[in-house]
Order: sequence, then C-alpha cells, then structure tokens
Amino acid sequence: MTMSTSSSSKQNISLEEWESKMAEVPIAKSDLNQLIMNYLIIEGYKDAAEKFSEESGQHSSVDLGSIEERMQIRFAVQNGDIKTAIERVNDLNPDILDTDPRLYFHLQQQHLIELIRQGNAEEALEFAQEELAPHGEEHPELLRELEKTMALLAFDAAGTRSPLAELLDFAHRQKTANELNAALLAAHSQPREPKLPALLQLLAWTQEQLDEKANYPRITNIVSAVLEDQRPPPKDAAGAAATGGGTQRA
Amino acid sequence: MRSLQSPDPVQVYSALRTIKNAIIGSTTKKSLYFKLQIIPTIAALLAMEDTDVQIRIQATTVISSLAHKGEEATKQLLDSGVVDALINQIAPGADHVLMEASERALNALLPHESIKLGIEKHVGLMVPYLLSIISEAKDASRVYEMRTHARVELAMLVLSKLCVTEARQYTIANTGVIDVLMSILLRGYPRLQIAALKALSALSYENMEICGALFLVNVKGRAYTDIVLDLARSLEPDISLQACLCISYLSRMRTGDLLKEIQAVVVPALVKLLKVPGFDTLLVVNSLGYLCHEDADIQSAAKNAGVIAELIKMLSVIESQENADFVDQEHNVRVVKGVFLALGTIVSTNEECRRKAVEDKALEYLVRAMGHPDNGVKAAACLCTRYIIRSVSICRTNVPESGILAPLMALLQDSDADVQVTASATLVNLLTDFSPLRADALKKGLVDILARLLESQNNMVCRNALWSVRNLLVSIDDDTRREIIEKIRIEKLFAISSLPHQTFLQEHALGALRNVVADSLIGIQAVFDAMGSARVIELLRQVVRADADMVIKVHGLYLANNIAVRSQEHCESIVCDEELLQAIVSHITSASSEVAIAALWCIDSIASHRMPAQSQRESDIESVDGSDSCRYMDKLGGLGIQATLERMLDEPNLSLEVRDRVRSCLDYFLAPET
Repeated sequence: MTMSTSSSSKQNISLEEWESKMAEVPIAKSDLNQLIMNYLIIEGYKDAAEKFSEESGQHSSVDLGSIEERMQIRFAVQNGDIKTAIERVNDLNPDILDTDPRLYFHLQQQHLIELIRQGNAEEALEFAQEELAPHGEEHPELLRELEKTMALLAFDAAGTRSPLAELLDFAHRQKTANELNAALLAAHSQPREPKLPALLQLLAWTQEQLDEKANYPRITNIVSAVLEDQRPPPKDAAGAAATGGGTQRA
Repeated sequence: MRSLQSPDPVQVYSALRTIKNAIIGSTTKKSLYFKLQIIPTIAALLAMEDTDVQIRIQATTVISSLAHKGEEATKQLLDSGVVDALINQIAPGADHVLMEASERALNALLPHESIKLGIEKHVGLMVPYLLSIISEAKDASRVYEMRTHARVELAMLVLSKLCVTEARQYTIANTGVIDVLMSILLRGYPRLQIAALKALSALSYENMEICGALFLVNVKGRAYTDIVLDLARSLEPDISLQACLCISYLSRMRTGDLLKEIQAVVVPALVKLLKVPGFDTLLVVNSLGYLCHEDADIQSAAKNAGVIAELIKMLSVIESQENADFVDQEHNVRVVKGVFLALGTIVSTNEECRRKAVEDKALEYLVRAMGHPDNGVKAAACLCTRYIIRSVSICRTNVPESGILAPLMALLQDSDADVQVTASATLVNLLTDFSPLRADALKKGLVDILARLLESQNNMVCRNALWSVRNLLVSIDDDTRREIIEKIRIEKLFAISSLPHQTFLQEHALGALRNVVADSLIGIQAVFDAMGSARVIELLRQVVRADADMVIKVHGLYLANNIAVRSQEHCESIVCDEELLQAIVSHITSASSEVAIAALWCIDSIASHRMPAQSQRESDIESVDGSDSCRYMDKLGGLGIQATLERMLDEPNLSLEVRDRVRSCLDYFLAPET
C-alpha cells in the first residue's frame, strides 16, 4: 500500500519528453572527444589515442610518446616481470621509488609473490630476508603486508589451498600495476584516474537520486546506454496484475 | 665496485646501472655501497672531462639516490666535490637527460643541513643556469612534454631549496624569476604548479620586502593573491596545501583584506586537508600553527572551522595506535609534537579557543604527553599547557583537577634543556595569586626546586625560575615569604639584578625583589639586613638611572616605592641619597607613561610620611600619621616638584592615568594651604 502511494506520487516522464529535454542541454562534441582522449591517454591506449586524434581532430595535451614508456612498465608488472618494471621506472624517473617506500615495497612484494608462484621457495626466502625484511623494519606500517606475503611460503605454489590465494591472483598483479601507473601519471602531472569512470559513477548516483522522485527513461545497461522507459504500465493492466481478480472475472 | 675501475666504458656503464637499480628505494643497499666507498669512485668518474655522457647519467643518478640516504652521505658528497660536476651538468647546452639527472641530484642533496650553506660558493653560478631551464617552460608548446616539464619542475624545486637565507632570497628574486613562476602557475600542470608555489613560498618566507613585492604582482589583471587563493581551493591536496603556505607567509604583512580571505578560504582549505585520507597531515598542522601565530582573528576562525576539534581527534587516533604493531610510531611522534605546537599557537591569545580546547579534553592529552618518552613531545605539551593556562578561569576551574602539577614539577628537573625551559615557563602561569595549585606546589617542595633552577647554567631556565619566584611572592603569608627569602636568598636576587647586559634576567630578579619588599615589613627588613643600606641604595641608583632599560627602570622605581611606602626608616635612606632622589624625580616627566607613573608613585610614597607629633618625636617612634605636615617637604620642594607637577597638569596631551597620579601627588604639596 505504501509502495503504491509512493509510486503514484512520482512524476512520470515520457521518453519523448526526456529526449527533448536532453536535446536542450548544450554538449560540445569537442568536450566529449576530450573525455575520450583523456580515457585513452590515462589508460595507456597509445595507438587508439593516435588514431582518435587523427580522426576527430582532437589534439592531445600530452606528448603521446610518454604513454609508450608508461605502458611498457605496466605490461611488465602485468606479466610478472617486476625487475624489468623497476629498471624502467628508474630510467624514467629514479625519484619515484626512492621517495615512495610504500610503492617500492609493493613492487618488491609482487616480485616475492612471483618467486613463490614459480616455486622458487629458497630464492623467495633469500629475497625476503635481504630486500623486504630490512625495508619492513624501516617502515613498520608495511610489516603486516610482509607477514601476509611470507605466509604464502607455507602453502603450495599453486596456491589453491592457500587462504592467501588472492595474492597469487592476477588481480593482485593488476592492483600493483595500477598503483605504479597512478604514481607515474602523478609524476607526469596527469590525473591518476581517467574522468570517464568518475562520470559514469556520477550518472549512477544521479539516477539513484532521481529514482526516488520520478519514473523516467533511465540507462540501466551502461554498455548499450539505451534509455529504458520506466513508467508504470497503464492503470487497468496494473490493477489486473496486482490483484489477479480481473482474470478470474474473465 | 671493481667494474667501476675498468678501462672498458661498457663495463663501467653496466656496473653503474646495476648499482643504481640496487640502491634506489633500498636504504640497506645504499649503506652497503656507501661503506664500500662508492662516493670517491663516482666523484672521480664525474671529475674526468672525457667521461661518456651515458656513464655520467648513471653515475649522477647513483649520487641522487645516495643523497636520499641522509646527512652523512651528503656531507661526503659535498666534500668529494661532486657538486661542481653537477652544476656543470646543468649548464645551458648540456645533454637534456644528464641535465635532468643532475637537477634531481641537487634537489635530493639540498634539504640536508651540510649542503644548505655549504653550497654557498656555487649559488652565483647555479641561479642563472636554473633560471635558463625554468624559462624553457615559457617557450615550450602547450603540449605536455615529459622531459622538458621534469627539468623545469626540478629547477624550480632546486631554486626553492636554495632560499635558506635572506640574501639568497633577494639574489633569486632579483633575477625576475617571479614573473616566470607566475606564468607557469597559470599553465595548469599540477606538478609544475606545485613546484612554482614551493618556489614562491620559499622566496617570501619571513621576507616582508618580497611579500610586499608579491602583493603588487598582477598577471593579466589578476593579483598574485587572487591567483594563489584560487589554487588554495584546488581539489588537488598538494596544490591546495602549497597555495595555503604561500598565503600564510603573506599573512605576516597583516593586510586587512588578505586576513579576511585567509579566514574565509585558507583556514577552511587546511581543515579540509586534515581530513584527506592518506595525506601527510604534518605539513598541514604546521601550516595552521604558522597561520594562527599571534592573530586572534585567525585563531578564532580556526576554532570556528573545527581545527581544535580536528587536532584533538588526531591525538586520540594516535593514542589508540600507541602500542599497536605495524604503525610508523616515529611519524606519529612528529605529528603529536606538531599538533601540540599548533594547538598552543591557536590558544595563545584567544580565550574562546582555550575554552574550546579544554572542553575537547586537551588537558587530559597534555597531562599524558608530559610523561611521553620523546623530549620534543614533552616540550610541546608544556608549551601548549602554558598557553591554555593563561586563562584565569581555566586556571581556577579545570586545571586543579587535571592532575597536571605532578608531571609538570617532575619535568622541571628533566635532563633535556628544552623540556626544562618549557616546563619552567609553564610553571610561571600556575603560580599566579589566583591559582589554586600554588599551595599544593609549595607543599611539594617547589621553593627548593626553584632555588636549584636558579643555579642553572641555562639562562632561560633561570629566567623562568625568577619569574616563578616573582609570581609566588604576590599575596602570600609571612611564613611562605620567610621560606622564600631564606631559600632563594636575597644575595642571589641582588647579584642577578646587577648583571650587566642581561635585561631579561635582571627584569625578573628586580621584579622578585620588588615583590619581596611589597606588602610586608619582613621583606624590607630582610633585604636591608642581607645587603646593607648602602648596597640597596647603590642598586636602586643603578637601575633607575636615565640610560637604564625602560622595563628595568619601572621595576627599580617600584622597588624604591615599596621600600619607601612601608618603612619611614628605610625611606629615609632613599631620600637622603641626593643622586637617587633626583633620578626618581627626573622620571616623573618621562615620555613613557609607565615610567612616569612609577616615579609618581615613589614621590607619593615619600610624601606620605608625616612629621612625628611632638610626644612621638621625643620618643622617636615612627608614625605615618603623626601630624599633617610632610616629613620630606623641604627635600621634595627643593627639587621643584610642585611646579613640575603643575606644569604637567597644563599639558593637554598628558594621559589620563598620569594626570590622575599627578593630581594625587600634588595633593601633598597643596595640603598645608588648604
């Protein structure tokens, strides 16, 4: 009953009305292009960015050559080749790892994980003692993570039975790669994240707010971005569906 | 290390690259190579003119990383002469990658103490090189170019770190760099904006002339302050913080409009930064402390913006982590210290702020912090307490139950000099006549502790002990006065009162003596018994002479007054000394109303002694009210005081307080006629 009352107090907006209102909002194509270019640059799609720049005439405010180096570093982490990633970062900007102990630790931790994954327990132990333990002593706030990683040695390399399997998951490599990418972006005066996901989050939040006040054509599937009419069905049909009495009478 | 000596440049290059990748991020590896004497080897490589540029880049990067190790490595790097090579490598025309690596090394070296001033002889050469690099930004296209931007950013950071003396600030500002920095500030690249703001704040830090020049800067119709205030509103925490710092330094100009903007924009921006997760709040806390220094309006704005509550919340969070593992306790200690110092500044003048701090349980944290193992925290806690208990009402109501007395008294005997200084300074405020803790402190042996502190080699401790004695002597009973006189010793107070060129000690020793002789004959008698009349008069002559410091003169005049008013016998000693009497009289027309009032009180006290009645004269009994005529009228009249006082009353600009005193004095001279 309450639901029904609430629902009936909502404003109903038709697809036509909605589209006509939307058409009144001036959105420059160049702004949309800039949004896409920003996404391609931050996420490191260099070739796509170059093509998009050619086709849309949208000039990048960033030297596209700098994306290449950043992406090679990212790929190295994603492939588990941490040593190469570290060497490349040090060639690009040696201050990054010298001034960010947390990031340096996470790269070293990822290297340790890779050694464990490969079943090099002895090498992993040696690496942890020589590289990670002294770093942990200097930065006690990182010790918990070190302990957790070291616990991996107690389980089999496949990690399937390990309660710490998440560390061996590809997602963990991805997390480390993202952290490094964000640091590289910040070092290059670039935002740490593209604007597009934040805008989509804003869209979802706004729709949630609007849902309480109106029935309107909303975007449910972000990939297709189709406006779906959310208005309730005509009253008679709704009544039949709700009570079932109409059907009996027929 | 052996490969570094190889004649094969490929081997040298390869070894340097391996070392570089080993030491970056690793303090252990840095220490290892440091012990293996890598610095002289690298210095030798860089000193050779024919060293390949790729080898130079790797060697310079190794230096840059070693500089992060700390003071010891930096000192060795400076002594090895690598700085000359680094500066040559940033000269116009140098390889750009090498230039960037060299800037990085200089940027890493410069925060260290040994190099801050040790680099002085190179400044003249460095500044034009750096300016030339920074100017690249002006000519660069609008497209972000990684290497160019890195060089420009580093050049600005190096420049900012060179600004550690006023002379260097002027040298750098006079190159016209401010205009270039302003244009970079408007380009919109966060890293460059942060570096430009750092350079601008370093140039203007505690330099009123450069702050004044920045006020006049105008770019395309926008004032410097408007541009920087806009950046203070930035969503990027580092930009916002650096912009807030720039404005904080300008706040010392005390310009009305800017102070309003600080309250409206900068203070809320800093409060917001305190809440940014993962952001290092220490700089924010320090910045708030700097901003609130001696400005009651900004202190009030800080309170209204929730700074006090936020700072105390930080203390609470840190306390909860005290025994936890996996916490950077050293960092927490630095933050706690910063919080107490900032809180102390915010409550230093504003009563409402003090009240808010106490409501938020600041005293509880302060009492606990007085037992902290870190000396810096203990000293900061004392400082903050000192400012909070400046409040009479807090001192009367909240302090007695806070449990602060015992830890504070323990800190008076701390082995650390800074702790002793701040603890003894805090004690001063606990010993005022309205403080309920005064009696408890006396019971706990305070006078003995003060007597020991007076023997301290640290002048600040000694000063604070004298100040405490001075406060303790106000409104006390005779027994306590006797105890103080006995343990502190009049001779000691006399000796300090006579010290040449130690005004800050003299002031409080004289203040203590002034209070010893106030309100009671016991003190006067003790002073004359201990020192003899001649030495007392000699001291008075010395401290009231025309060229004495004003504060000393005021205390000296009140000392004379307190002696004169209570005892006719000792007043006689003052009046009979022509030089002293003339000096006192000369001060009644002093341009300083404080001195004039003190001198007029003296005259008033001397004139208050009456001629004894006949019977009393015969029995030689002292009386103040023996007859209507003034005992020293002839003496005072001979000095032309009446005419002087009458002339003073005719002066239209005479302050009301002085006028009041003049009238009161004049009554003695007019009385017989009326």
